[in-house]
Amino acid sequence: MKLGLGKLRDVLKTGSGASPEEEKKKQAEGKDKAEKEEILKIENEEIKPETSEVNKMELKKTGLEPKEGPLSPADRTGVEKTGLIFFPAFDWAISPTHPEREERLLYTRDQIFEEGLMDLPEIAEYKPRLAEYRDIARVHFCVPDVKAQATTPHLIAAGSCLVLGDALMKAEVKNAFALIRPPGHHSMTVAHGNRGFCNINNEAILVEYLRKKYGIRKIAIVDTDVHHGDGTQEIFYNDPDVLFISFHQDGRTLYPGTGFINELGGPKALGRTINIPLPPGTPDEGILYVLDSLVLPILKDFKPELVLNSAGQDNHYTDPLANMRFSAQGYAKLNEKLSPDMAVLEGGYAIQSALPYVNTGIILAMAGLDYSCVREPDFKPGMFVQGAKDRKTLEEIVAAQLENWKNRDRLVEAEVAKHGDFYRRKKQIFYDTDMIQEFQEETIRMCPDCQGYKTIDSHAHRGVDDTRIFGVSIPIYACENCQAEAREEYRKRLIHPEYEYVYLQDKKQDEYRTYNIRTKRETVY
Amino acid sequence: MLIGIDVGGTTTDAVLIRNGEVYSTAKVSTEHGNLLNSLLEALDAISRDVDPEQLERIVFSTTVITNLIAEGKTDRVALVLIPGPGVNPASYTFPDSFYLKGAMDYRGREIDPLDEAEIRKTVRLIQEYGFSRAAIISKFGQRNPSHELRIEEIFREVYPGCKLELGHKVSGKLNFPRRIATAMLASATREHYQEFVEKIRQALEERNIRAPVYIMKADGGTLPVEKSIECPVETIFSGPAASTIGALALTPEGQTSVVVDIGGTTTDLALILSGKPLLASKGAKLGDFLTHVRAFAVRSIAIGGDSVVRVKDSDTDAKLITVGPDRAGPAYCMGGKETTPTDALKFLGLIEVGNPKRASEAIKITASELGKSETETASLIVEKVSRMIADAVNEMFLEWEQEPAYRVWEVLQEKKARPENVFGIGGGAKGLIAEIAKKLGAKPVIPEYAEVGNAIGAAVARPTLTLNLHIDTEQKIYSVAEEGEIVSLNTTNIGNLNKIHLDEAENLATKLMRARARDFGIAEYAGEAEIVDSEVFNVVNGWYTSGRLFDVNMQIPAGLIPEWKRREKA
Ligand SMILES: [Zn+2]
Ligand SMILES: [Zn+2]
Ligand SMILES: [Zn+2]
Repeated sequence: MKLGLGKLRDVLKTGSGASPEEEKKKQAEGKDKAEKEEILKIENEEIKPETSEVNKMELKKTGLEPKEGPLSPADRTGVEKTGLIFFPAFDWAISPTHPEREERLLYTRDQIFEEGLMDLPEIAEYKPRLAEYRDIARVHFCVPDVKAQATTPHLIAAGSCLVLGDALMKAEVKNAFALIRPPGHHSMTVAHGNRGFCNINNEAILVEYLRKKYGIRKIAIVDTDVHHGDGTQEIFYNDPDVLFISFHQDGRTLYPGTGFINELGGPKALGRTINIPLPPGTPDEGILYVLDSLVLPILKDFKPELVLNSAGQDNHYTDPLANMRFSAQGYAKLNEKLSPDMAVLEGGYAIQSALPYVNTGIILAMAGLDYSCVREPDFKPGMFVQGAKDRKTLEEIVAAQLENWKNRDRLVEAEVAKHGDFYRRKKQIFYDTDMIQEFQEETIRMCPDCQGYKTIDSHAHRGVDDTRIFGVSIPIYACENCQAEAREEYRKRLIHPEYEYVYLQDKKQDEYRTYNIRTKRETVY
Repeated sequence: MLIGIDVGGTTTDAVLIRNGEVYSTAKVSTEHGNLLNSLLEALDAISRDVDPEQLERIVFSTTVITNLIAEGKTDRVALVLIPGPGVNPASYTFPDSFYLKGAMDYRGREIDPLDEAEIRKTVRLIQEYGFSRAAIISKFGQRNPSHELRIEEIFREVYPGCKLELGHKVSGKLNFPRRIATAMLASATREHYQEFVEKIRQALEERNIRAPVYIMKADGGTLPVEKSIECPVETIFSGPAASTIGALALTPEGQTSVVVDIGGTTTDLALILSGKPLLASKGAKLGDFLTHVRAFAVRSIAIGGDSVVRVKDSDTDAKLITVGPDRAGPAYCMGGKETTPTDALKFLGLIEVGNPKRASEAIKITASELGKSETETASLIVEKVSRMIADAVNEMFLEWEQEPAYRVWEVLQEKKARPENVFGIGGGAKGLIAEIAKKLGAKPVIPEYAEVGNAIGAAVARPTLTLNLHIDTEQKIYSVAEEGEIVSLNTTNIGNLNKIHLDEAENLATKLMRARARDFGIAEYAGEAEIVDSEVFNVVNGWYTSGRLFDVNMQIPAGLIPEWKRREKA
């Protein structure tokens, strides 16, 4: 006997008023699909033994590919869905009352589940996975090792970005939103501890992963978090192929106290870092003005292969950690205009009054759906108006940065002429969460053929603890001379007793090493 | 003695179980416009020589609700919706909707008040339009039903005769659109369903049968038939659920199996993971509507014994066989017009039914188109069909592995399983199961009584029950999603509300579950209740913890009644 669900469904379908034309169309589609499958199957059977099914499934599951050269991104025209990973990490917190705690996305979960967003045909929900240690080592010098900085929740947050990155590159989705925690945009190349609630930089890990795996090169990152994305800026500061644009509350009034308009990038990448410090109290109007008159024109000019959005939600008018006046409608509009290929959640700590509404707005905007009814309970249109003085400040910033952008190649030329074979700079970095003071000397090889390799000599004080490390980083598109020279730099340091750890980050070769001077043990990721 | 009856699409199957063993079986064809007749015919056939006094339990599964909806015989329902801010309600595709002002937030705090004048106007309008029933659903109504309750009051006053359904009573789960659909379908089918149940009651009375009567639900559980009137939509898809429980009853305990039910047009798949039937992570889809109805994860593919076999040219000039997705009547060897997998199975001698000469004819035609020998062609067809089914099984496992995870431990808990058994039921199973099992590296199982596995499932299924407890200590309230009441925490014997521990929340849930089981007349199964998951969140205002939110989800999972297990021990 047989009570076929299929039969039921068929009956139900006709009962539900589908027209005969629709029925026919559906059947025809079904047939086409069946035929395609047939062809596919026959090929499979000829080439592969029975067990290949399991392997294929294994690969599909982990997002890993068989080892071969870089794949190329698939064409996304006509793709309809928005990929979404919602990873609230309900069982993880920095500490019980820290803003970065378990229920940060609880009310967001309630709102987006109650709205039924996961059921929408425009949304494809993906499962998170853990990033591998080498994905982290491709970006960071983790002290003492990857495991110490990237705990399981961090690996899942980063891994979620990679899952969506793969879905994007394989054209399963037209765009994607990683609604995840913990955040990452304050993490810099050297990771001694937690800065601004971040240990590892999710976007940077995604960028280097996609470059390695899919051979793409030019990427733009637009950081719309209220805090300056100083980590992301530092990681790509010398990379002319990564355009980093951050707007944020003026660094004179908010953590981390950087992100001024004169921070334009390293000598060979001047103008590829664009900071837009906003006066406290800037409402939707001001941010959308900056977007329209500065960010979008620059993006159009740069022609990136991919636009990423560090989508912090702490510009909101109710955020407890900052003083801006952005609304859920403003966020949705921003997302619609920017139309990033992928958005990654960063900060945002008004977990009840903002996040549920802001995230609903962003998801709808990304999926191309109507977000006009999304609003905060206390929101009244027109409740925040841009002051004339602030408006003028914004106009000046926009004008100055447009000028910098226009002149970027000349700026590079002039700056490069000032330096010899190496460019050096000293930095001090403070880790607020872990109370670490770090002193760095960074050296960039001024190579005529590539962006040059980078070395970092870093000295960190945490209480009475002192750690000194040395790291060598070879960009993925470095020339062979730089690669050879940099690897030699690494080798030379292995006998220097003043360092505790020495790191090699050869992105060109996808090889990552950490050497422990005391134990004389080398770890290869 | 136990009776199980499954009223299916083509046949109605019945079994009588005595001392934990199948004593007799019966099969009658289902009479389409009259499911009740078919049910009673099967009941009479199976209980002919039985003293009604000896019957301990009767369980049936039926498509009555599904048919009502499919045939458009449901009643019109006015949907009174309070959507509040969020998704634009203009994007909903529900019929007969009336939108009202008012809004609640995710913690059940009022955002916007109701507009009483607007409600009165709407109720009168609903009356004028001639609706005799309405469903009132507010977004986050399960967190605070006061808007739904107030509108109910106004209905009682303005239009007292109107039959009402309240969203928060239908489901306490998050998902407003699914709650709308579930409430709408419940309201639209309740009266017809009630009539059906009443007729059954009468028929049993006439036969002097006083044994308790249960109905199967989509989640494989049984429900006392009187209770089922409260939630008629939960009885949809109870046929596949019965088959899955049947498979559970007929396979060794604790194993992982895939249940393959091969029919004429479609094949249904269900999974049993380490002895537990897999539930769909979200509710069932009914027609065009996603609902909150808890159901087994069932995948249906458009391939069956009667699917049409065709020969197609490929790009590379080679000829290929395609199967389905359509059916053009019965198999050729059963008097049909087209070659089908059934013909191939008959040709290869893998099944008994069918005319062998006609099977050869059919395969001969296809073989000449394909340019291969007849045996080769028949084998290719069988190969093709089993490959498609095996692929669908693999996809189903993969989908289960890829279900979203929201907690660190869920991501770490590597989900991985492959079937140990391929359990075949349905007409087409016999010839194909071995080949499918081979592809999956599993053991083929076609047990005795496989053809009435569904009825066995109905006969030996035990009740299921769920309970989702939500506690908000800041607001000093708790609610049970399934019951829709917001209760003050002061009515519990929890002493210090600020210091509730998770185990106290779980104790409260267990206590409530016991009461709920008693209420459902299934108190003896309360001991089977288990905690599915529980979570606790601090509510932090500023830098201080001002309260805690608890969620405890419990269930009496699908399973077998002890009477059946008794047989296994024997
Ligand atoms: Zn920023
Ligand atoms: Zn921030
Ligand atoms: Zn170079």
